[in-house]
Amino acid sequence: MQNAIEVKNLSKYYGKFLAVDNVSFSVEKGEIFGFLGPNGAGKSTTQRMLTSLLTPSDGQINILGHDLAHDAYPAKGQIGLVPEESNVYTELSAWDNLMFTGRLYRMSKEDRSARAEELLKIFGLWEKKDVKVENFSKGMRRRLSIAMAIIHTPALLFLDEPTPGLDAQSARAIQSIIRQLSTEGTTVFMTTHQIEEANQLCDRVAIINHGKIAAIDTPEKLKQTFQQVQSVEIAFTQSPKGLEEKLTALPEVSTVVKVGDKWRLYNDSPPILLPLLVQFAEKENLGIQSLNTLAPSLEDVFLQITGQEVGAILETPTSPKKKAGMRRKGGKK
Amino acid sequence: MKNFIVRTQDELAQAWTVTLKDMKVYYLRPGMIMFGFMMPFFMFFSFSVRREMAAGEGLSRLLALTIFFTAAAAGPFIIPTERRMGTYDRLLAAPMSLFTLLLGKISVGAFFAMIVASVAALFGIVFLDANIAQPALMIAGIILGSFTFSAMGVIFGSIPTHNPGDVQMPSTLIRWILLFVSGVFVPLADMSATARGFSYLSPLTYAQDLMNHAVLGMGELNLWLDLSILFISGILFLLPSIKLHKRGRVLGY
Repeated sequence: MQNAIEVKNLSKYYGKFLAVDNVSFSVEKGEIFGFLGPNGAGKSTTQRMLTSLLTPSDGQINILGHDLAHDAYPAKGQIGLVPEESNVYTELSAWDNLMFTGRLYRMSKEDRSARAEELLKIFGLWEKKDVKVENFSKGMRRRLSIAMAIIHTPALLFLDEPTPGLDAQSARAIQSIIRQLSTEGTTVFMTTHQIEEANQLCDRVAIINHGKIAAIDTPEKLKQTFQQVQSVEIAFTQSPKGLEEKLTALPEVSTVVKVGDKWRLYNDSPPILLPLLVQFAEKENLGIQSLNTLAPSLEDVFLQITGQEVGAILETPTSPKKKAGMRRKGGKK
Repeated sequence: MKNFIVRTQDELAQAWTVTLKDMKVYYLRPGMIMFGFMMPFFMFFSFSVRREMAAGEGLSRLLALTIFFTAAAAGPFIIPTERRMGTYDRLLAAPMSLFTLLLGKISVGAFFAMIVASVAALFGIVFLDANIAQPALMIAGIILGSFTFSAMGVIFGSIPTHNPGDVQMPSTLIRWILLFVSGVFVPLADMSATARGFSYLSPLTYAQDLMNHAVLGMGELNLWLDLSILFISGILFLLPSIKLHKRGRVLGY
């Protein structure tokens, strides 16, 4: 199967700053591919190069069989782009925005009218089709922005942070549309730092950090690779003073993180930890409200790889246990 | 050959699509009305009050002034505004050449200037009672000058920035300098040899002379020289715009 995207040794310098460092990867046709990374990791820079908005310093990009450096025109006709900020014309109505985009992609009047009607109905904007976009909410603008990107039924859709800042209903509607597009054969390349969203949507993910791809695989395989970040989550009926220190002092526990009214205890073998926790609760005269073993989440993998601190893991997978230093006092995940 | 014709048709249609969209979105924006419509009229009146001037001479100056200022106002306002809003990415990512995009943007300023120049011509004919020696030449001059000076404005709009203010200040400054050396306020015949030498470097000099031919029926320079210089300037103005856009793609704008 021909790849929708092939990237070889791609680099981008801004002056002397290396934003993307010799990156290579490919995306298969029909895949939903997630490009994860912390802020400033090089996600958007990479996407801008893939959509011909930014000239690479080095490397090759092949989009749907076309070399972007020398043959961008046919590739550009087959891609749709949804940037991070909804770039809609607020002075125009939703209908006029779609008609303008349809004309840019040389759709016939009948085709663009029919497609615009279909999309506005799917996105729940049909009733407001003649309203100026300046009166739209953020979620409505986002939906319109996606509708504009897919009006010409692109073979490859680029989404930059599709859902942050949206209410749950809008976010879910957009995720559902992304799945639908993939079912219909559209390749989706999405940059995001919403890890759970990538976990739910993506066939494969790449994790980029400091301009380099640190890992690339399916979410499940990535999680398996990082088994040492398994954890046990326990909620006690009480939370006496000094509990965190006592939990940290337990053998086999590498890290303790408070998650709401629960405690998450990281170790590489939860079954060993479970009886220890029951004994600990009896000894401390604490009731256990809930006790669960957790497999590593994609977020754990992401944090492990990027070394980003959201409240949980700061250690590399192979580093030795250092109990006192690993406790995250008051950390939240 | 067939592919070339289809591609050309597509690109022209896309340029027109960009133009139509910009006309809807920007023509009534305060920035365009202020810098493109009101400014040339204010400038004309501030320089012509209490000056002895024949009606035809006044109209000729007003036309050159409006074409120049109005056409060159669109690019520095629209392109940086679109870059800031993110909507320019939509155009850059679309399947059309950079030349097509620039043609669309140049046409926006050119049509705006043609509308304002038409108002100026009506004003001159109705209120100043001016006679126009060669109406067809005046229309041709307005069209040619509008495209040329709009292309000049697009050079400033192509400067890689997200802030329209970064572009409007230098573009206004340069337009003012050109205005004073180009025989709009001081006729070429009254200039010193040195000033006249500088004036030949400005395309506005040829636009003013062309309007003199059209409205008054006479000019200082050869009519064909005026037409040729304006046409060639319009083409040459595309080159720095293309280069600046390519630079913007390297820098990330």
